[in-house]
Amino acid sequence: MSAAGAAALVEEAARDGLLEVHDPETDLNLVDLGLIYRLTYRNETRRLEVLMTLTTPACPAGDIIIDGVQRRLSLLPDVDGVDVELTFDPPWTPDRISPEGRAFLEG
Amino acid sequence: MAAAPDSFVRHAPSFKLIQAHFGLGLLGLLLFSAALVLRAADVTGFFLQPLLLGLVHLCVLGWLMPIALGALHQLVPVVFETPVRSERLAWIAFVLYAVSVPVFITGLWTSALGWALPLAGSGAATAIWLYVANLAATLARSRRRSLTGLYVLAALGWLLLAVTLGALLAWNLQRPYLPLFHVALLRAHAHAAGLGFFGLLIMGVAYRLLEMFLLSHGASERAGQVALVAVHVALLTLVPALAFQLGRPALALAAAAAAVGVAAFITQVAAIFRRRLRRRVDVSWRYTATALVYLSLTAAIGAGLALGPARQPWVDRLPLAYGFLALVGFAGSVVIGQLYKIVPFLVWLHRFAPYVGLKRVPSAAELLGERPKQVQFALMHAGLVAFLAGVLIDAAALRVCGAAAFVASSLLFVRNLGVVLARQP
Repeated sequence: MSAAGAAALVEEAARDGLLEVHDPETDLNLVDLGLIYRLTYRNETRRLEVLMTLTTPACPAGDIIIDGVQRRLSLLPDVDGVDVELTFDPPWTPDRISPEGRAFLEG
Repeated sequence: MAAAPDSFVRHAPSFKLIQAHFGLGLLGLLLFSAALVLRAADVTGFFLQPLLLGLVHLCVLGWLMPIALGALHQLVPVVFETPVRSERLAWIAFVLYAVSVPVFITGLWTSALGWALPLAGSGAATAIWLYVANLAATLARSRRRSLTGLYVLAALGWLLLAVTLGALLAWNLQRPYLPLFHVALLRAHAHAAGLGFFGLLIMGVAYRLLEMFLLSHGASERAGQVALVAVHVALLTLVPALAFQLGRPALALAAAAAAVGVAAFITQVAAIFRRRLRRRVDVSWRYTATALVYLSLTAAIGAGLALGPARQPWVDRLPLAYGFLALVGFAGSVVIGQLYKIVPFLVWLHRFAPYVGLKRVPSAAELLGERPKQVQFALMHAGLVAFLAGVLIDAAALRVCGAAAFVASSLLFVRNLGVVLARQP
C-alpha cells in the first residue's frame, strides 16, 4: 500500500473514532456536529494533526472536547501522538452539521 | 467529588465555590417553602409587616440571591474568558453573607433583634458590595464585549443601589432618620433589586444560556438591545418616582417603558427559540416559557398599580400578587429551570469529563430523567397558581393548598438534584 493510502486509512479510522466523542449538551458526535475541519496523518512522524473548532469560542466544554479528541485518537494503532489545533476561522455555523446530525437534533 | 484536571474550563472557579452558593440557595428554598406553607393563611394585607418582610427577604436573600451569585461566578469566567478576579474575595463575601443573612431575616421576621437587625443588614450589604466589586473587576479585565456582558454589568450596578438602599432602610427601621417616607424608599429598593438586578441579570444571561442549550445560532440581537434601553428608561423613571413620590405621570412612563422592555425581551427569546437546532424542548425550556407568562402578568399588574383606580379592597391585594409573580413566578421559575441545566452540566464536567474519548459517557441531560422534572414542574406551577389565586381572592385555604404543593415541589426539586449529584461514571 502507498504511504498516501496508509495515511488515508488512519485518517478514516480517526474520523470513525471521533464518532464516539460526543458534545455533552447536544449528545451529538463531533464529526456530525461539524467541529472537525481537517484530519491529517503524517507517516514520517506517526502523528495525527486535527484542525477543529467549537460551536462558540466561549463553549464551556471546549477544553473537555479537545481532551476527548486527544484521548480517543491516541488509542488508534499507528498513532504516536495527536496535535489538536483549534481555530475559529472560519467560525462554526449550523450549516456544518451533517444531515445525520440534523436528523438527530430534530428527532 | 474529584477535582477536574487543569485543562477543564480553564477560567472556571473551583466547583466548591459554586456548590457552596447553590447549597445555601437550596437550603433557602426549603426554608422559604416551609415558611410559606406554615404562614400561608397570614399572607395578606399591607406589605410592610414583619411576616411579609421576612418572607420576601427569605425568598430573595435566602433562595434566589445565592443561586444567582453562584451562577454568575460560573458563567462570567466562561462567557468572558477571564477567571474570577479573586476567588478568595468570593469566599470572604460568601462567609460574610451566610453569617449575616439569617440574622437579618430573623430580625425582619421577629422585629425583636434590636440593633442586630441593621448590623446584620449592613453585613449582608457589605458582602454583596464585595461580590459586585469582584465581579465588576472580572468583567473589566475581559476583552470580550457582548450584549450579555452589558446586561450583567448594568445588573450589578442596580444591585449596588438596591443593597445600599436596603442597608439604609434597615437602620431607618431601627431608628428613623431618613428624610424620605420609609415605604416609598422600600418600593424604590424593591424595584431596584427586582427589575434592576434580577430582571436585567435574568434577561442578559437568558440570551446566552438559551443560545447555548437550544443550539441556536444567528438570531439578531436588536430586540435584546431595545429591551436593555427600555428597562433602563423604566428603572431611571421608576426608582426616583417611587422614592420621591413623583406621582402618576412618572409612574405611567415607567410602566409603559417596562412593558416595552418585557415585550422586547420576549421577542428576543422568541427569535432565539425560532432559530434553534434542537427541536426537542425539555423541562428547562418549559420553565423559561412559563416564566415569560409570569413576567407578562407582573408587567400588567405593575401597569395596573401605576395607572389603576383608587384604593379598593381587591386593589390592595395586587401588590402582594405583583411581588409574588415577579419573585417566585418569574425569577423562581428561571432559577429552577436553569439549575436543571447547570447542575447536571457541572456534575458531568467534574465527574464524567475525564472519560470522554475513552468510553461512552452519558450526556449531561441523561444524568436525570425527564419524568421527575415534569412532575416537579407540574407541582410547582399548580402550587403557584393556587397560591396566587388565594392572594387575589383572599382565600386562606387556597393559599395553604398552593403553598403545600409548592413545598412538595421544592422537596422534589432538591431530591432531583440529589440524584444528579449521586451519579457516578
